[in-house]
Amino acid sequence: MNVETFKYDNRIVRAFGIATIVWGIVGMLVGLLAAVQLFFPDANLNFQFITFGRIRPLHTNAVIFAFVGNGMFMGVYYSLQRLCKARMFSDWLSWFNFWGWQTIIVAAAVTLPLGLTTSKEYAELEWPIKIAITIVWVAFAVNLFGTIVKRREKHMYVAIWFYIATVITVAVLHITNSMTMPAGLFKSYSMYAGVQDALVQWWYGHNAVAFFLTTPYLGLMYYFLPKVANRPVFSYRLSIIHFWALVFLYIWAGPHHLLYSALPDWAQSLGMVFSLMLIAPSWGGMLNGLLTLRGAWDKVRQDPVLKFMVVAITAYGMSTLEGPLLSIKTVNSLSHYTDWTIAHVHVGAMGWNGFLTFSMLYYLFPRLYRTNLWSTKLANYHFWIGLLGMMFYCVPIYIAGVTEGLMWKQFNHDGFLQYPNFLETILQVVPMFRLRAIGGTLYLVGAFMMAYNLYRTAKAGQFEPDTEAQAAALEKAPVAAGKSAFHRMLEGKPLFFTVLATVAILVGGLVEIVPMFLVQQNVPTIASVHPYSPLEVLGRDIYIREGCLGCHSQMIRPFRSETERYGEYSKAGEYVYDHPFLWGSERKGPDLAREGGKYPDAWHFNHMDDPRSTSPGSIMPRYSWLLTQKIEVDTLPSHLIALRRIGVPYPVGYENGPAQKDLQAQADKIVANLKLGSVKADSDKEIIALIAYLQRLGTDIKSAPVTTAAK
Amino acid sequence: MIYNIVHSILREAGNINGYGLFSFILFFGFFIGVLVWAFALKKNHLNHMSDLPLDGGEKNSTDTIKSEKL
Repeated sequence: MNVETFKYDNRIVRAFGIATIVWGIVGMLVGLLAAVQLFFPDANLNFQFITFGRIRPLHTNAVIFAFVGNGMFMGVYYSLQRLCKARMFSDWLSWFNFWGWQTIIVAAAVTLPLGLTTSKEYAELEWPIKIAITIVWVAFAVNLFGTIVKRREKHMYVAIWFYIATVITVAVLHITNSMTMPAGLFKSYSMYAGVQDALVQWWYGHNAVAFFLTTPYLGLMYYFLPKVANRPVFSYRLSIIHFWALVFLYIWAGPHHLLYSALPDWAQSLGMVFSLMLIAPSWGGMLNGLLTLRGAWDKVRQDPVLKFMVVAITAYGMSTLEGPLLSIKTVNSLSHYTDWTIAHVHVGAMGWNGFLTFSMLYYLFPRLYRTNLWSTKLANYHFWIGLLGMMFYCVPIYIAGVTEGLMWKQFNHDGFLQYPNFLETILQVVPMFRLRAIGGTLYLVGAFMMAYNLYRTAKAGQFEPDTEAQAAALEKAPVAAGKSAFHRMLEGKPLFFTVLATVAILVGGLVEIVPMFLVQQNVPTIASVHPYSPLEVLGRDIYIREGCLGCHSQMIRPFRSETERYGEYSKAGEYVYDHPFLWGSERKGPDLAREGGKYPDAWHFNHMDDPRSTSPGSIMPRYSWLLTQKIEVDTLPSHLIALRRIGVPYPVGYENGPAQKDLQAQADKIVANLKLGSVKADSDKEIIALIAYLQRLGTDIKSAPVTTAAK
Repeated sequence: MIYNIVHSILREAGNINGYGLFSFILFFGFFIGVLVWAFALKKNHLNHMSDLPLDGGEKNSTDTIKSEKL
């Protein structure tokens, strides 16, 4: 037997580890700032770049892609080398992956506060950054597959399967959902419109959770848990079933984000049924994890690494039970748009991803520095303060969510809405928002404690840049015969395995998305729906820039409680020119789908200047900069051309003169309306464009059919 | 009879049509295949697979490094 000596690369693991800690703290801090603004709107200091609508996507992106993303790379780069008994395929690619990813994070941290966003949740970054993500991800994929190819262990352990599924699926999701038409260096419009955009977005959004936050972390669980507990996984058989059932099912569940929306019923039902079926593999995985600790629970009492892991796996079980339950249409009719969803995702993010990341960091740093953890006591304090923080975060927000849902639906004895003023329902839960911020603070304090503990550990030890290892070279052996030969061959043939996994993840997407694009009846057209006017297009761009959809939905569901409050329920045909769709997923303010004509222009002007002047107690931030900043009229031609290229019927040449004339005429009309309301404003200010857009919302179905485009 | 039961379950689940039935059959077949496959695997192979994380091939083991209270 030819035994080879080689070295594992620890430098790259350490680099990703440090990035995980730094970005984790940054992401949580931004989350805390956003949380505080929900009960103290002036916490943005009237500074547009840190206003809720802009930093909410910064928080989600930082936590998902910077904190968990770096944590994932850290764990994969450590475990993959050891499971393959080989150094990473290319050190250069490893470092390209590292610096490329950090550059993307910095680019996100700069562009999102500037309002450069596509508005599609968890895919907000503009097209040049999306291209950079693709390149870095391909580098990671080449490095991963290269390492697998040069491995010294014949069989691929189940963790590697999860890594492969992650690499493939994230690539498919990212590319499909990023199809945009550039309209400038940092502006683009989604190729898809309305219902189709919504379906693609939530197919992506849901599976970003599945294949970025779940599958890689399950792979890491299957590696690190046996390692820490020093015993093999409870059932390897179960892990095989867990893997295949999970990757096949997850991809179908996206439409559960669009229940009771204008999405066709068949797609909603598919999303619901497959979400429910997901309980089985998810709980199979959770039980496999927890049962691995059978006979080792005494260790859990002592070892903080295991404590964090047990809570992480339990949180995974809780959120994967709750997710399918929230996908049941009746439950969803209450929970959707409320804070219930926020609580649900935070059980997953803080419990599953956060705690598993903490456990990996506590496991890895002492080993990378070849010393014991500096303070077990401090790690234990971190565990308890983190757990308390999670409780203080989630429990009040669950209460808030259910309260909101019930209040929105409540009718009085006379058949009228009990709480017709939306603001009343939000003010009711503001105390819960305060408690949530306390919970978030506790969780953040825990993260600081960990950072200090790991820093002291590093100081006390000696970093080992390369770990020497030995293993026999992989020799070509004949494939075993018998019943299990197929599977053993599969484990030994990464390419064949990858093809099968790709087919498994593609089936669900194809069955749901292809008919949506091909079958005309899925989006019935409405003759009176026409494209946005030039001023409305620019107003819509401002709406996107400010992240208004973080708090305001544009999708009225067909419930009496919604039609009473907002008006006629939303139809698929109303959104055919909406590139991108702006349905939103959360209501901290009322739905705006039928906002047009509800209030006079002057009301909108005053409301944007100071929301509390028109709605006492409102938690909406002031948008006073819209009153002074000028509309970027020079961007109009490129925006109209981009929209025409993706199917919006603006006449050729419309952008060279006629559009500007129409824009000025509409702006002058709004200025005249404002004058009637005793408001003096210039026609070239951003507030005018935003008012034009808001006054247009939902009015098409009330007007007569229009035959001329852009009129 | 089984067809009727399945059909009625799917119908009750919320207007599931041909797409739903196709999807369900697809998954059901896939899942049964995976089950058969997993249970056909030999014990010694499974033991080998589940032991993989425990042997990283390191010359100087880090197993003595502690994060728990001694």
